[in-house]
Amino acid sequence: MALKALDIYKILPKKNCKECGEPTCLTFAMKLASGKGDVNLCPYLDAEARELLGASTKPPVAKVTIGVGERSVTIGEETVFFRHEKTFVHPPGIFFEVSDLDSDEAIHAVATRVFSESFVRIGQSLQWSGLAVRCRSQSPERYAAVVDSIEKKGYHLPLVLVADTPALLEAALPRAGQFRPLLHAARQDTANEMSTLARNYGCPLVVADPDHDRLLSLATRSEGAIGQDLLLDASPATLRELLVSSSRIRMEAISRVPGAGYPLYVDAGGIEGTISAVLLAVLKFGGVIVTPPLDAASARAALTLRQNIYTDPQRPIQMSPGLYRLGNPGPDSPVFLTVNFSLTYFTLTSYLEATGEPCYLLLADTEGLSVLTAVASGKLSETTVKEAVQKAGLENVVSHRTLIIPGYAAPLSGKIEDATGWKVLVGPRDAAEVGEFLEKEWHS
Amino acid sequence: MTTLGQWEGSIVKVTIGATPADGGTRRATCTIGGDRDLPLLGEPGNLSTIPKIAFDVCDDPALWPEVLRLTMGDELGDPAAMAARAEREMGADLVRLNLTSTRRKGFSDFPAIRKTIEDVLSATGLPLIIEGSADPAIDSEVFQQCGEAAEGENVLLGTAEADRYRSVAAAAVAYRHGVIAQSPIDANLAKQLNILLREVGVSQDRIVIDPYTGALGYGLEYSYSVMERIRYAALKGDQDLSSPMISASPDALTIKEVREGSIQQRYETGCTWEYTTALAAIVAGAAIVVVRHPGTVPLLKDAIAGLTRGRGG
Repeated sequence: MALKALDIYKILPKKNCKECGEPTCLTFAMKLASGKGDVNLCPYLDAEARELLGASTKPPVAKVTIGVGERSVTIGEETVFFRHEKTFVHPPGIFFEVSDLDSDEAIHAVATRVFSESFVRIGQSLQWSGLAVRCRSQSPERYAAVVDSIEKKGYHLPLVLVADTPALLEAALPRAGQFRPLLHAARQDTANEMSTLARNYGCPLVVADPDHDRLLSLATRSEGAIGQDLLLDASPATLRELLVSSSRIRMEAISRVPGAGYPLYVDAGGIEGTISAVLLAVLKFGGVIVTPPLDAASARAALTLRQNIYTDPQRPIQMSPGLYRLGNPGPDSPVFLTVNFSLTYFTLTSYLEATGEPCYLLLADTEGLSVLTAVASGKLSETTVKEAVQKAGLENVVSHRTLIIPGYAAPLSGKIEDATGWKVLVGPRDAAEVGEFLEKEWHS
Repeated sequence: MTTLGQWEGSIVKVTIGATPADGGTRRATCTIGGDRDLPLLGEPGNLSTIPKIAFDVCDDPALWPEVLRLTMGDELGDPAAMAARAEREMGADLVRLNLTSTRRKGFSDFPAIRKTIEDVLSATGLPLIIEGSADPAIDSEVFQQCGEAAEGENVLLGTAEADRYRSVAAAAVAYRHGVIAQSPIDANLAKQLNILLREVGVSQDRIVIDPYTGALGYGLEYSYSVMERIRYAALKGDQDLSSPMISASPDALTIKEVREGSIQQRYETGCTWEYTTALAAIVAGAAIVVVRHPGTVPLLKDAIAGLTRGRGG
């Protein structure tokens, strides 16, 4: 089990020497307890204490990096079962699968899509992680040629090399091994040769077995050979098996069961209901998810779901406070005031755009709180509204003096009028009703 | 952290619908809750119950998502016809009748909603959820009408909220129906509303929690986590959060992504978006998911089948 900060503090030298970069031993202990510190930064620990702290303060799921350079993917370092307990740390890598029996054109079409496709949402660019290249030909020459042609094109994308035998991987590794591809997979009968390949090329390795206990013991065995650059593939065939095996492994990882503390590899293409398997693996602890290329709608949905689930639940996503223009508003256009919680912003923007009415959106600084919580906690008040109006220089932007405030902020309308001198119009509680509101209240 | 299957609490069982044996006219009833493990992790049918799909039909399509109005035609405004389709073609488990006509300003045609309810009840043998008005000024009359028109059918009436729950609760108690208790993505508010409803006489086995579901990309993660929290609290023994949950995302078919592209693209994106939102809700613990896109129901049926059977576990 993870140690608490005070338990760790008792083991530390309590010299407050600052050599670890922290002001005191206690703050260093707190950092270690949260899984963010590195025990090796303390120069005064003996080997026994170092080992004890190292094992119990590092995240229960090992960190693994696939690929090199800008597009490399880091997964693992997870600490919780429910995202609300703290947060999920590294979003899973989603890899599109190609086979060496596909034509070169087809392979490069997928590679180009993985390389260049991106969707921007809430200021983040959402991208695919890399390519999984499966050997179906069973020909070492063909497989090596395909891997070679992908590397030669210079996509610099992380790869997963998927082959049934060590000999096939061995053929491809001279072309790609220096770029840290993920190797799939070591099974009970191939574990030794696969470990040797992974060690020789310095690549992370997937261990696979459909039986839970055998999987964990295989992982423990491989750990001895190559260290912690491992992923676990429980080889589920149905959504239920995926849910149950992923949940069990994450729970056991957190309880520090030997062999369970590795990111999960999910071959969604091998599961009945592939698109659902991708979504389920995003929700439930997937580390690397391999899937046939997704259709346009599913692609956006999967990346959006990944972004949602891997948002830190303790930190609401905030928009910068200030004035935003929707459409091309003029001096007569309406001004909607709201909070700088990004969800509020996007929902309201979405409905305002649908009305086709050019308008201004003024975001008060409520530290990212939603309307309800900002009103309750006083973060949305006549003071913050006044500040927002002044900072935006609103009186020089529009010729009227009317602010439309959220329906849930109605109790503040009198105070806002007194503090700002602007007339307040109470808008709807539900953003979906802004269209009707504009028609009935603003234009009348 | 806990291991699988070792919990003190369980989810309360709630039955919706009544067969002729119970004084109703439904072909079968629908029972949710009874789970004694995290969502879908227990043995199906024993520790975990199988999530149910409700298809949403309305009596006034003006307030229904544009993508459906553009693709489905006149049938959309005929809730009885849509309810029959939900049962026969889509294979839904329940029908939610959404009385959108009551959302119009100055609504007063109360006999019309009675007739709509009666028509839907005779068009389908599925258990019914009825979503009434959202305006305190007419709530009392609307829910009285709903309760009475569906008397004996043990429907689920929605929606009670912290500042307007008395009318719906009164109708549910008087005519022996269940109540949907909606709170804005907050476990503590869900708990309070549960207590308020019991204080006015709604029994625990007639309450279904609606924690509010933001659409994928529009707050889904908040809803997902609040559902996980509520389920976890219930399993840890918190009685006031032990009601089963219903998830309905009102925005999944109206958000920006579903307003872009050709009508065909919008129809497909809407389906995927609503499906992804509902799947996440099921994984987080929703016992009923409510959807509006006809294409979503078969996708969910397949996923639920895949989530509840397997070669092992």
